[in-house]
Amino acid sequence: MARPDLLVVGGGITGQCAALSAARAGARVALVDLGLNAGSTANAGSLHVQMQSRFLRLNPHLAENLESSLPLYLSAVKAWEALDAELGGVELTREGGLMLAESEAQLAFLEEKAERERAKGLDVEILGHNALHRMAPWLSEEVIGAELCRDEGKLNPLVANRKMRAALERAGVEIRRDRITALEDGAAPSALGTRRHSAGQILLATAWGTSALLAGTAVHVPTPPEPLHMNITEAGAYEIHHLVQHAERPITLKQFRSGQVVIGGGWEARLSEGAGAPGIRKESLLGNVALAARIAPGIGGLRVLRTWAGYNTPVDGKATIGPLEAASRIHLALPGDAGYTLGPVVGQSAAALALGAEGPIDAAPYSPARWRG
Amino acid sequence: MDRISFTFDGQEVSCAPGSSLAAALTEAGVRGFRETEKGKPRGIFCGMGVCQDCLVSVDGRPNQRACMTATAPGMTVAPQPARPALTAPPAVNRSAHRLTPRVLVVGGGAGGLSAAIAARETGAEVVLLDERKVPGGQYFKQSARPEAAPLDAQQAEGQALVARARDAGVTILPEVTVWGAFDGPEILAADPGAVYAIRPGALIVATGAYERPAMIPGWTLPGVMTVGAAQTLWRSYGTLPGARVALFGNGPLVAQVALELAEGGAEIPLLGESAPAPWRRPLASLAMMRRDPGLARKGLSMLAGLKRQGIAPRHDLRPTRIEAAPAGGLLVHYEQGRHSGRITADAVCLNYGFQPQNEILRLLDCAMTYDARFDQLRPERAPDCRTSIAGVYAVGDCCGLGGAPAAALEGRIAGRAAAGGPGPSAGEAATLARHRAFQDALWRVYDSPAPPLEEAAPETLVCRCEEVEKAALDAALSDDPHDIGALKRATRIGMGRCQGRYCAPALAGLMARRRGTPMGDLSYFAPRVPIKPVDIATITAAEALLAEETNG
Ligand SMILES: Cc1cc2nc3c(=O)[nH]c(=O)nc-3n(C[C@H](O)[C@H](O)[C@H](O)COP(=O)(O)OP(=O)(O)OC[C@H]3O[C@@H](n4cnc5c(N)ncnc54)[C@H](O)[C@@H]3O)c2cc1C
Ligand SMILES: Cc1cc2nc3c(=O)[nH]c(=O)nc-3n(C[C@H](O)[C@H](O)[C@H](O)COP(=O)(O)OP(=O)(O)OC[C@H]3O[C@@H](n4cnc5c(N)ncnc54)[C@H](O)[C@@H]3O)c2cc1C
Ligand code: FES
Repeated sequence: MARPDLLVVGGGITGQCAALSAARAGARVALVDLGLNAGSTANAGSLHVQMQSRFLRLNPHLAENLESSLPLYLSAVKAWEALDAELGGVELTREGGLMLAESEAQLAFLEEKAERERAKGLDVEILGHNALHRMAPWLSEEVIGAELCRDEGKLNPLVANRKMRAALERAGVEIRRDRITALEDGAAPSALGTRRHSAGQILLATAWGTSALLAGTAVHVPTPPEPLHMNITEAGAYEIHHLVQHAERPITLKQFRSGQVVIGGGWEARLSEGAGAPGIRKESLLGNVALAARIAPGIGGLRVLRTWAGYNTPVDGKATIGPLEAASRIHLALPGDAGYTLGPVVGQSAAALALGAEGPIDAAPYSPARWRG
Repeated sequence: MDRISFTFDGQEVSCAPGSSLAAALTEAGVRGFRETEKGKPRGIFCGMGVCQDCLVSVDGRPNQRACMTATAPGMTVAPQPARPALTAPPAVNRSAHRLTPRVLVVGGGAGGLSAAIAARETGAEVVLLDERKVPGGQYFKQSARPEAAPLDAQQAEGQALVARARDAGVTILPEVTVWGAFDGPEILAADPGAVYAIRPGALIVATGAYERPAMIPGWTLPGVMTVGAAQTLWRSYGTLPGARVALFGNGPLVAQVALELAEGGAEIPLLGESAPAPWRRPLASLAMMRRDPGLARKGLSMLAGLKRQGIAPRHDLRPTRIEAAPAGGLLVHYEQGRHSGRITADAVCLNYGFQPQNEILRLLDCAMTYDARFDQLRPERAPDCRTSIAGVYAVGDCCGLGGAPAAALEGRIAGRAAAGGPGPSAGEAATLARHRAFQDALWRVYDSPAPPLEEAAPETLVCRCEEVEKAALDAALSDDPHDIGALKRATRIGMGRCQGRYCAPALAGLMARRRGTPMGDLSYFAPRVPIKPVDIATITAAEALLAEETNG
């Protein structure tokens, strides 16, 4: 491909979805990726919709960003459902997500949160002890209630990534491996790596790699990588249908269709000195799994098989979608928090803007304008 | 002596006290212990706690390894379904211990025991732990019945070494599995009743090796096991793997076990060695004799023993497929040069060399070098067996195949050094060099590279745990994955309970050949905790111990 209409830099879920939707719309597309430390190959496949208590706790000053993004999450889940059908199944289920409370205070917090979310169009409900335990008998008796968000779900990212890659090939997207180190904007923009990649438009879906690439521009997006820890068990009977979180404690817990229980929730891993994946901290392994066992004693007969860690790029908890400035031919596609959930809708929207087409959402609230100056 | 009894799947089973569940079930004629996701039966395979195929549920607790679990009177044992129900298992009270010995030895084989004795005799306080109930490791394979008389000189020597370690004042913790290793070094370990967090002054890793199988269709059938699994059944528990046992492999262990089983009363219809007969490699054979006449003589007397039992090893022979025989038992297809044949047996044993158990070393970031001759990683070591990481020593077969005499000597050298004693003497260095030269010559005699994974039949299970066939691997390779991690994510190969122990070596070689990259540490799956699957109750108890230390 001599000069593609669109060059996507970054081959995680966001870049892949941008490339696929552009190619489907008839553009000539190339995707260049370093193939290193993608959050998309490390993530746990939770489809988040309700506001994550972890994010609210860690970044209370950003709660507003998160709340204003709630409609985007609803569109994101729709985009995933469409992809699920298009790719021939990624083990997506939408049986809802539970956020657990172990005290009256936590339940009160969830009630207030549910109120705010309902106002933004989410399908949420507060469950009392009995209703909850009928639904989730593997939970601890200490759990007194929960918020159920019916919009939430999960999918298997291993399957999704594999099928996505095959779909890109079928759609004629040219995949290149390179590390981009500089960008040139203007009438004929280029991305420079070991070679020059010129294109009609350039879209950056480079997660943690973004701030370095924008160094010479007027746009300053903080994209520090956040190293996160995950655990997985051997398979048990498929009984945990919901995505499970806690009102106050950092945990996500769910079960893949394969029966394996995946435990995470934002426990930190160790930033690696070299270019490699982050390292495991014993405190995170012990703390995260012990917490899971406490709220879900039913998983106590399973053994932990493996832990891993990857880089998340939460930015400011809000997506960034669109050109660097009005006339720029360089575009950003950064999902922010819960990036695997948001990746498809963010990638598709950014690609549509770059090609002058109509996107799935109104991307104006997510403009990079907030990072200029 | 009085036998004990327990139930399996509702049926009463009786066995000698001290038997492992796997041995007791084998003796009772039970072959399939559990069912896989695809509904296939599985049973004992490695016999040493690595493959995770022998899982059963014990007293309501699923996912217990039958080969590592001792029988107790009145136990309720059940076959393990593919997916056990999510019910909270009965609570166990685990005591929690923080240990800070001057020297910690992981592994109680020839290497670990010798290291512990040397460190203790140099004046250090020493803790040695081993996953097995009785220390001794693979070479000394001790009987699980303490009162049993040693089977032979090899077992007697091991018994004496264990006694020496006890007499020297080494604290031996049996049945303790190391599941985590972190910077420091800090070791997390557990036995059925306790958890340990250990921060030693020096760590000596002596975790030995596990066996390489033959990846052929049918290698996962119950009754097919490693040669070492059969040897453990017989030497530690007095149980024969079957009445009629066929052995296939490469190297002297296969013939030795054939002889031991025959002397124990088993019928050996076939002993198939993949290498040509030693007399076809006279130079290497001669070199081996010269390096260690004593060991070479032992080999000759083993051949004489086989002859007395009427067993003639057949050379240049490899199994190609195993299937369930219509009349019960197993049917093995094999090839010998241009000829092919079939044989029935009720147990089939495989061993095509060894893989080092180097998980702890790799987790601690010890520098590793690829040894092309033996197709395995070896840690970089100073003459006193110190690795590249301060305070971490490595001895024996976890550093790559070396044999029991070398393991013992390395243990003595490392144990002394770890306790602050002198480095190896000139005499020790020369003896070690001679042991290594012997191994080198031995494996020249037996040189017989395994057929590459590329040539495996499409229906071969490349990943026994996740039941991934060679055909699925080929399909994923057409996407040109750029490393073994990407291949794993695309196929699930290596994601199962054995944590990639059987597939990783084969897959690493295949990827290196395809991509034209040199083999090295990065060719294999990235090392990650846990080293062995670890139950959640163990993690909870360890978390409580560490939290208490931080808060109190
Ligand atoms: C352990 C973990 C669990 C998670 N779980 C969930 C979850 O359950 N649900 C959820 O919604 N989100 C989850 N996340 C977050 C989510 O994984 C990420 O936010 C999301 O994958 C981001 O996708 P992306 O395509 O934007 O970026 P990434 O997937 O990070 O991809 C970025 C790509 O850009 C490439 N790149 C970067 N710089 C350059 C350069 N200069 N040149 C060339 N290429 C470059 C990288 O190599 C990489 O391939 C999790 C994250 C982690 C780490
Ligand atoms: C199956 C098998 C059978 C063999 N049979 C013979 C034979 O008959 N004749 C012969 O000459 N050579 C034999 N060998 C080779 C010989 O055993 C070795 O050369 C010798 O035992 C090396 O001693 P070592 O101390 O390095 O390891 P080993 O003797 O293997 O001892 C290692 C010990 O470490 C323990 N261990 C490993 N991982 C952990 C963990 N995570 N936590 C706690 N404990 C752990 C194991 O339980 C084991 O007891 C055999 C090897 C194997 C693998
Ligand atoms: S036979 Fe028990 S783990 Fe392999």
